[in-house]
Amino acid sequence: MKLVEALKCLQATPVDARPLSLHIVCGFTPLHLQTFVAAHVQAIAPSRRVVMTSGLFGDCLGNLERLAASEPLPEAAVLALEWPDFDPRLGLRNIGGWRPSDLADISATVASQVERFAAAIARVATHVPLRVSLPTLPLPPVSYFPSGQSGAFDLGLRARVLELGALAAQNANVALVNPQRIDRTSPLEQRGDVVSDLSSGFPYSLSHASALGRALAELVVPVQPKKGLITDLDDTLWRGLVGEVGPDAVTWDLDHKSHGHALYQQMLASLAESGVLIAVASKNDRAVAEQAFEVREELSPLRQWLFPMEISWGPKSEAIGKILEAWNVAADSVVFVDDSPLELAEAQAAWPDLACIRYPKESDAQLYALLERLRDSFGKASVSTEDGLRSQSLRQAQVFRDQVATGTADVDNFLSKLEAELTLNYATDPPDPRALELINKTNQFNLNGHRYTEGDWLAHLKSSGTWLMSVAYKDKFGPLGTIGVITGRYSNQARSATVEAWVLSCRAFSRRIEHACLAALFTRFDLAEIAFEFQSTAKNGPLKLFLRELLGREPDGPFTLSRSAFESACPTLYHRLKEFPQ
Amino acid sequence: MSDTTRDRLSRCLAAYFSGLSPQEIPRASMATVGEWDSMASVTLIAIVAEEFGREIAQEDYEKFVSYELILDYLENEPRVPRG
Repeated sequence: MKLVEALKCLQATPVDARPLSLHIVCGFTPLHLQTFVAAHVQAIAPSRRVVMTSGLFGDCLGNLERLAASEPLPEAAVLALEWPDFDPRLGLRNIGGWRPSDLADISATVASQVERFAAAIARVATHVPLRVSLPTLPLPPVSYFPSGQSGAFDLGLRARVLELGALAAQNANVALVNPQRIDRTSPLEQRGDVVSDLSSGFPYSLSHASALGRALAELVVPVQPKKGLITDLDDTLWRGLVGEVGPDAVTWDLDHKSHGHALYQQMLASLAESGVLIAVASKNDRAVAEQAFEVREELSPLRQWLFPMEISWGPKSEAIGKILEAWNVAADSVVFVDDSPLELAEAQAAWPDLACIRYPKESDAQLYALLERLRDSFGKASVSTEDGLRSQSLRQAQVFRDQVATGTADVDNFLSKLEAELTLNYATDPPDPRALELINKTNQFNLNGHRYTEGDWLAHLKSSGTWLMSVAYKDKFGPLGTIGVITGRYSNQARSATVEAWVLSCRAFSRRIEHACLAALFTRFDLAEIAFEFQSTAKNGPLKLFLRELLGREPDGPFTLSRSAFESACPTLYHRLKEFPQ
Repeated sequence: MSDTTRDRLSRCLAAYFSGLSPQEIPRASMATVGEWDSMASVTLIAIVAEEFGREIAQEDYEKFVSYELILDYLENEPRVPRG
């Protein structure tokens, strides 16, 4: 992005758009970095109006320490560190000495500053989501070593700063720019602008400011990761056509020059364990394909994650439709990988929102690019217990739905024997990142589709009168983990509460969990009525279906439900409740 | 050629001083535009350097105080490609 484009992007924002307040913390004049961060955030979140503030020139640590006490707090803060923030002698605007005898003192100062930054980052991050870039500019020629040689001095400085990054990264409210990302988008020799640094105190070239601004912006407003991957088998999961060469002869190893498939399998296993749904859509003889998973033991760790396996001679688009139905996930949350351009085109025509990616069987270099693309599509900041349960609980949900749909189980009889247990957690401090993740990624059972930034969410939880209910579920088939979140505000005087956000994972449908949550809310807060900030969205059909059953009609906007109306419409509930705090 | 330079320079100023009308831009200077401070000059130098693809020497920074002076600089100073 050019500077003039960044300015135009910011000017084009509607004045009445909801503000997104960002604070930039750095030791240099924020100038164009501030502009680029704002413009890139604006481009990612066009419905918001980015409002940026900054601190004092030359006092990065002080600016950071003051931020924790500032009022009002911004929704998020960006911390752009550079070497002079750890010791001014590591910059060009101060003359403090580069003599060999100065180096030990510079090292000691950096170590001390690292400790102060670590403490300040931890303090700020309890109030504000913090996005951090470690120094991106080259170290100036402070050391007596020739530029091609590293020594204990410069390696020690880098080690201290990396330790700071590693420590900060353990904080759930802190995200760091990956230096590899900057290495790719901004060549080292083109990052700095000495003239600008000395004349105006801004140390970056425009191209570097844009690259760094974009990387920081993507951490401020992260893209929601995809939820599922559908893979082909022949010449994708493995090399060869299993129906022709047999299960023993398909390969994924260095000897057969098919090691790329092994890397792809490794990536799928990694994605699966981090909560990504993995399914198979293959044109094959089902028995032969399944035999490959039985005969080739190396596939068994991956096999446990593959659900469903749609293997037939029918069109891939039909197989994909069945998979999406089993997952209860929309096509725009899914990636389909296949080596055949024809199959990809057929699937894309039927599912325009599906991300269709060709497996590049002829090029290991392109395969590596595919692995990186998959990591980007599914990347997330943390892996939760629920991520490991997702695939297993979907299989259980399928069994459950099949039994109910085929009439092999009387619903009440079935539910009464499930030994269902709901754990309702009302704690807001410390915030559970799973609650925000659920709200921001759930589409179908979602009260209004409202999304929160981390800053929005922290501010909501801290505001007076706010309550939060996180819902975890388990039954005799196993745990589903945290599958629901309801939050809003209540008024003691009126014995009423407002529900501002309510989501329930599709894995938990048909168990009357939604009814149990409302019953618990009425009881816990002794409510006479609950107001719902309902809004119809293109995707919240399951929520509307629930409301139609509960109210006898589909509301056209916000509505209020009295306790007596709820109790008369609520079916029998069989859950055992555990509530925290009591 | 002169018109083209004027147009491009006008676009540069309009990008930064969004409140100025097209008629006000050719008369814009530090004296007439309240927002035009030293930081605005630094940003204008960066925008103009980017738009015209030329390195702006430090001794020429002082010319970035009015539209007319910048235009005169762009039309009459020897062009130094960006290094």
